[in-house]
Amino acid sequence: MSRDEKDEDMIYGLTVDERDALRTGLLGLPETMPPRAVWHRIREQAEAEGLISHPRSRRPSTWYMGGGLAAAAMLVIVILPGRVETPGVGTDAPGFASVPPPVVEIYQPEVNALQALMVESRQLETDLRSLPSEPRVVRAGTQATIIELEDRIAAIDYQLSDPTVQMTQGEQEIFWRERVRLMKSLVRLRYAQAQRTAF
Amino acid sequence: MRDMSKFADIQIDKAIIKRAARGDARAHEILYRAFATPVYSLCLRFTRVPANAEDLVQETFIEIMRSIGNFRGEAAVGSWIRRIAVTKSLMFLRSAWTARSQTLAEGFDDMTAGDNLSHGISRHPDDAMDLDAALANLPDVSRTVVWLHDVEGYTHKEIAAFMGKTESFSKSQLSRAYQRLKPMLAVTQESLGADGAAAQGY
Repeated sequence: MSRDEKDEDMIYGLTVDERDALRTGLLGLPETMPPRAVWHRIREQAEAEGLISHPRSRRPSTWYMGGGLAAAAMLVIVILPGRVETPGVGTDAPGFASVPPPVVEIYQPEVNALQALMVESRQLETDLRSLPSEPRVVRAGTQATIIELEDRIAAIDYQLSDPTVQMTQGEQEIFWRERVRLMKSLVRLRYAQAQRTAF
Repeated sequence: MRDMSKFADIQIDKAIIKRAARGDARAHEILYRAFATPVYSLCLRFTRVPANAEDLVQETFIEIMRSIGNFRGEAAVGSWIRRIAVTKSLMFLRSAWTARSQTLAEGFDDMTAGDNLSHGISRHPDDAMDLDAALANLPDVSRTVVWLHDVEGYTHKEIAAFMGKTESFSKSQLSRAYQRLKPMLAVTQESLGADGAAAQGY
């Protein structure tokens, strides 16, 4: 027993049981996540002060629109629609044989492809939210990949929600298909991460 | 120091620390994601005001960015980050006390004693927030000392150094806090005992 603990027993007027109950209660109090905006504020200040090297902008510039469309178009040409399998964003690495949660494949001929992709994307968001929070043991490679995927999804969302960007239905479909593909990768990665933590 | 803190559970690859020391934005984002919740929780616990806690999180991580080049890895990175967060939070509290022209010693007694008397400590066992509320009702300094000692595992000597006070000061704060929390602990224990008996089929 440390000197502090001896002192406490003699001076502070709590029994050992009371002390244990208090500590257990305090340690069990819930933690709170800061709002997302806090990181953006930190990043802006850090960039302004030159504390961090300039990261790739999360807000896509105009080239991204063309580049993204071209990349997504290439994807559609090379891989048949409906059979888009993630080529692996680090997901085939040894020890990463986790089976992701089942993803409901949407195939309804009467519903157009764009709507089906939107529904599938929402389902993947639900799957992602159902996973446990991020583990405390952080692996640099995995975390960097997760951030990269989230960045790319955010960039697509930005394009899809930008009222100044006029897209045809076909172009929207390309973006939504790419979003679904990235979401699948993200779900797989987070699922594997959660499994590693569990065992 | 008994390290029961949630900071101690978080492990970070040395490679990330090295990248962060070079100013790599991604590495800093990884550090932020790993530690933002415990840092914010600690700051919120000390200040009780979300906006102040957010500012302190910002100050803490900016300080990390400024100083990580000097981090030698002799202590765990979590301990180092926690120390920065604690220092920033105490500086904030001290500045608040200073702004009210009160010394550290009198601040905790006079500033919130009225709050405690008016709100009291919840004794209702069904109140899910009882400990949280009781803790929040403690004067700032008492609450801070309880947290630093019982959760973060700092010794009285370390707490005294943080606060620029004596060990006796830290001990007396803890003692006063315990006296205020004691009635609630009795209720909690009764409640736990009843739950335990019920669980065992008695």
